[in-house]
Amino acid sequence: MSRRLLVSVFGTEHDIVGATNSARSAGYDIVDVYTPFAVHGLDRAQGITPTRLAFVCFGLGLTGALAKLGFQIWTSAWDWPVNVGGKPLISIPAFVPVTFEVMVLFAGVGTVLAFLLRSKLRPGKRAPVIYEGATNDKFVLVMAQNDAAFNIAKVQELFRPFSLVSMEERIEMVKE
Amino acid sequence: MKSNNHIPHPRFLFSERLRTRLFVASMAGVAITIAGLFIAPERTLPNILLANYYLLGLGLAGVMFIALLYVSNAGWATAIRRVPEAMTSVLPISALVMIALLLGVHTLYEWSHESVVAKDHLLQAKSGWLNVPFFAIRTVVYLAIWLGFAYAIVRASRAQDAAEGLHSTITNRKLSAAFLVVFALTFTVASMDWIMSLQPHWFSTIFAIYNFCGLFLNGIATMTVIVILLRRWGPFERIINESHLHDLGKLVFAFSTFWMYIWFSQYILIWYANIPEEVRYYTQREQGGWLPLTIINVVFNWLIPFLTLLPIWTKKSEGVLLRVCILIMLAHWVDLFWMILPPFMAESPTVFLWEVGPMLAAVSGFFLLVFRALARYNLVPVNDPMLQESLHLHT
Repeated sequence: MSRRLLVSVFGTEHDIVGATNSARSAGYDIVDVYTPFAVHGLDRAQGITPTRLAFVCFGLGLTGALAKLGFQIWTSAWDWPVNVGGKPLISIPAFVPVTFEVMVLFAGVGTVLAFLLRSKLRPGKRAPVIYEGATNDKFVLVMAQNDAAFNIAKVQELFRPFSLVSMEERIEMVKE
Repeated sequence: MKSNNHIPHPRFLFSERLRTRLFVASMAGVAITIAGLFIAPERTLPNILLANYYLLGLGLAGVMFIALLYVSNAGWATAIRRVPEAMTSVLPISALVMIALLLGVHTLYEWSHESVVAKDHLLQAKSGWLNVPFFAIRTVVYLAIWLGFAYAIVRASRAQDAAEGLHSTITNRKLSAAFLVVFALTFTVASMDWIMSLQPHWFSTIFAIYNFCGLFLNGIATMTVIVILLRRWGPFERIINESHLHDLGKLVFAFSTFWMYIWFSQYILIWYANIPEEVRYYTQREQGGWLPLTIINVVFNWLIPFLTLLPIWTKKSEGVLLRVCILIMLAHWVDLFWMILPPFMAESPTVFLWEVGPMLAAVSGFFLLVFRALARYNLVPVNDPMLQESLHLHT
């Protein structure tokens, strides 16, 4: 399967934010935007929804904390009871530091793994360069031409207020 | 590009009505406190110490925050720096009250009685440090150092409004670095002198940092309250954006968690070792009416702020952040009450006029002095080289 892409190249960060904003308002399908540096406000212009990684992080932290707390109760009060200084076998204050550490470990490492998994990243993955100038001084907006009504002239009209450097069509093979 | 970098000159107008109300409230507080000194001095004096330590802490947190901005070359908070600068204006009055409290040393500190020390081996061993003349000298020295630094730093920052160039910025960078080192050392011993020695047999090596995080947490929470009020009343409307609120929210969140971390660090070592003279501090606070206060302390200072400020939107929301910060201001009073009053209220915590009066005077007096200072100068440091960065903050 393949999809037709429209690659529009702009000269400044103001143009890319403006063009992305108008493209989204006009209802076009924005595939991605490539810039040489982080551009403030671009995430909002693209209409990217807030990340859900925070919930993954919270859930994993809770899992880690409960698992470690359970494990300590099991080892020190159930499986092999050890009397330490006459304190009760289940002494929560003594379990807190390790519980805390494991919570941080689960939440931290787990969130990174969840991020890599969800965004299909892995070490050594080849990054396709969509437009070479995007790593230097150009700002690139990529849209998908989803339906037959997609009209390049209309898009050009939409981008008129922003200094368009170049525009080209591309066909991308999409692996099923 | 020049046209983009317009420098705003917002001013704060301290309305007559608000000024009168705050003045009446603080005078009422002072009147109750003075009445308390005659009717129930042994209960009022610890509460004056509490309220004044609270007030002094707010002023010191102001200097701390300014100094941190300068040494870390931070630009995000430059637009709100006049708020911590205004907070330092409570330092002279709280220093005076702290020195006046030396008159009540025999009511507050059991180690100040020679008859008690004569019968107590531990207190004799500590008397080289804990004796009235040396205590008085130290109190004056700490306060003089802090006031000197606060005065110099705030004066240089305000002088920059009328001057071109980086002179003030460079001066303050040096002063701030020196202040942070000196403050760390002096506040460590000051918190031990004024608060820890209320129970002179007890000791905790982490006590100073525990006091410091409470002070700084309350300082940034109060600063956030003032910033949000100024935003709602208009002067900060176009200056403070969502990113500033987000950053302040993150700081409050971080220091609330840090406070809990230190609270627990102090608790677990004493709980684990179970040495009588150490553990007495906590057994006293786990009995009777003190147990609920111990729980409230942890819930208000950490659990509620932590859970509330965990998602990103609450840190950016004016309303939520304001409520959490007001809760922390109350929680810091609970924290100090929990530290200071158990030796004076063996049974359970009681709150009556003598507890409310000094706090009323301190808090309304604080807002009176801070708003007065804010109204007197430009609300943003107009010639600060970092101002543009702060106005365009985007995270």
